[in-house]
Amino acid sequence: MGDAFRRAESGTQLLARLEGRSSLKNLEPYLFAEEGFPIHGDVIEFHGPEGTGKTEMLYHLIARCILPKSGGGLEVEVMFIDTDYHFDMLRLVTILEHRLVQSTEETIKQCLGKLFLVNCSSSTQLLLTLYSLENMFCTHPSLCLLVVDSISAFYWIDRSNGGESFNLQEINLKKCAELLEKLVREYHLALFATTQTIMQKSTNSAESSFSLKLQQETDTDYRPYLCKSWQQMVTHRIFFSKQYNSGNSKTFSFTSCHIKKKQIVKRSFSIAECGVQF
Amino acid sequence: MPAPSQRKISIPLHGASCLPAWSASREAQECFSLVDFVSSDLEDVAQKCSLSYKALVAVRRVLLAQFSAFPANGADLYEELKSSTAILSTGIASLDKLLDSGLYTGEVTELMGAPGSGKTQVCLSVAASVSLGLKQHVLFLDSTGGFTASRLYQMLQARAEDEEEQLEALQRVQVARAFDIYEMLGALQELRDSLSQQVTSSTGPLKVLLIDSVSAVIYPLLGGKQSEGLALMMQLARELKMLAREFSLAVVVTNQVTRNSSTGPLKPALGRSWSFVPSTRVLLESKEATWEKANTQRIASLVKSSRQPTGIQVELDIGNSDAQELSPVTPTQGL
Repeated sequence: MGDAFRRAESGTQLLARLEGRSSLKNLEPYLFAEEGFPIHGDVIEFHGPEGTGKTEMLYHLIARCILPKSGGGLEVEVMFIDTDYHFDMLRLVTILEHRLVQSTEETIKQCLGKLFLVNCSSSTQLLLTLYSLENMFCTHPSLCLLVVDSISAFYWIDRSNGGESFNLQEINLKKCAELLEKLVREYHLALFATTQTIMQKSTNSAESSFSLKLQQETDTDYRPYLCKSWQQMVTHRIFFSKQYNSGNSKTFSFTSCHIKKKQIVKRSFSIAECGVQF
Repeated sequence: MPAPSQRKISIPLHGASCLPAWSASREAQECFSLVDFVSSDLEDVAQKCSLSYKALVAVRRVLLAQFSAFPANGADLYEELKSSTAILSTGIASLDKLLDSGLYTGEVTELMGAPGSGKTQVCLSVAASVSLGLKQHVLFLDSTGGFTASRLYQMLQARAEDEEEQLEALQRVQVARAFDIYEMLGALQELRDSLSQQVTSSTGPLKVLLIDSVSAVIYPLLGGKQSEGLALMMQLARELKMLAREFSLAVVVTNQVTRNSSTGPLKPALGRSWSFVPSTRVLLESKEATWEKANTQRIASLVKSSRQPTGIQVELDIGNSDAQELSPVTPTQGL
């Protein structure tokens, strides 16, 4: 199917795609256990309960991407797939206004011109949208970042629609995950996706595909519930949680795990009006 | 080669129904669902049925254009939001301050609290304020039987002198009753239909949708191992958010509270999946006071917000004549 699109590409589009996407290495070094991440093809999962700063962190990353180089950004384009109508444009604009030295309507709109938003109302629509977005990745060589907030939004509805069979329940998400992997690999993107903690920690350790030692080290309330195709394509998993300090100031913290190299780092951050601050 | 039978393609979106593609030789009848068709290799399909590859590519493009979501540019979206977003006063000055000027349209705001904490009173105050002060229409979906028109009228009388104004305001508040999830989904579907047709006579320019309470219709669904209840809850959540976004409404829902243990912090009822749904969440509690007389003073704390720091608290009075603000209190220990 990808061949069909390649045949339809013009020569210039082909060159644009092969020229390579900009590097995202300096996107946010604090988020990763090692230097030099994320690289193209990375799939980063933000996992955590409500109110722990996942969406704020996404705004921080988006701001970093769409700001001009003079404002401390990477000047690349971002595709944001919003599955639960959660995206707050006014909040993003507030963050941009704080980060730009000279924030006028013009500059804000210029930055926002690099952001593309899609709303999906079902997992089927998500799948079809990903197919039609392929064209967009072809024609926009500066589109390096794909964000899905959140990929677990259809979990209960899919489970109910699938009836008794686990396969039927997971099939849409499995197809979405496979398609995402293909898009990320072919178009050299980095994918950030949030998943919500909607299950309690499993007492049955055999159920968890996350290695037991790693889980004990990270001490998180993580119970994998999405399909295996998704779990296996994640290269970095970042667990968010809230911390309550003695000084009555709330901070947030995350534990970042590099799945393959089994490296972990813990950091904390706070959220102010200008966004995430480390 | 026999004449090709009618090449009719009917494409419903749901995966269960099929897209029949008739082969000219009438031998095999390949059935695809929409998703299968879009994800399959079109060369293969072209070989199996008599439609040309080009035709299949065109059909695929049309299907994707019709059923997939369209990306919008951030700048365009911002322009649209600037003109369509409104901030509506709740009628209680201290609560407005807590909410960063009031209720924002396009969002779902949740009021959580124990029974008797004042959730219905705050909802009535919102209805009074919006119908009288802003002259906009309000829909009150009552699932507990707690709505009393006389109390609403009392609030209106406290805010406006002119009887005609009060009656006009009363007419702008529509009340519907829905005591289970299906009635509620049905009422929301009716609302969606009338808003889509832009019928201005009865619903008018609707700005606020109040649901008191959402836990009353969802509690019976939860529990047990079935995921259907949760699926229905998420469907309701999705419908509320879509209504808020598409029609620029401020949606206010009320919810109960629970605790993890007897000393733990209060958290909203309906579980973890629901906790992600509202954009803003306010906790209403009774002020710790003597139990000698009926106390109308309450404390509202901001538990979740994307605009303000959480933990700030204000006092309010849901008293007999009107919900009014007391002297501002310094924030106590945050949640």
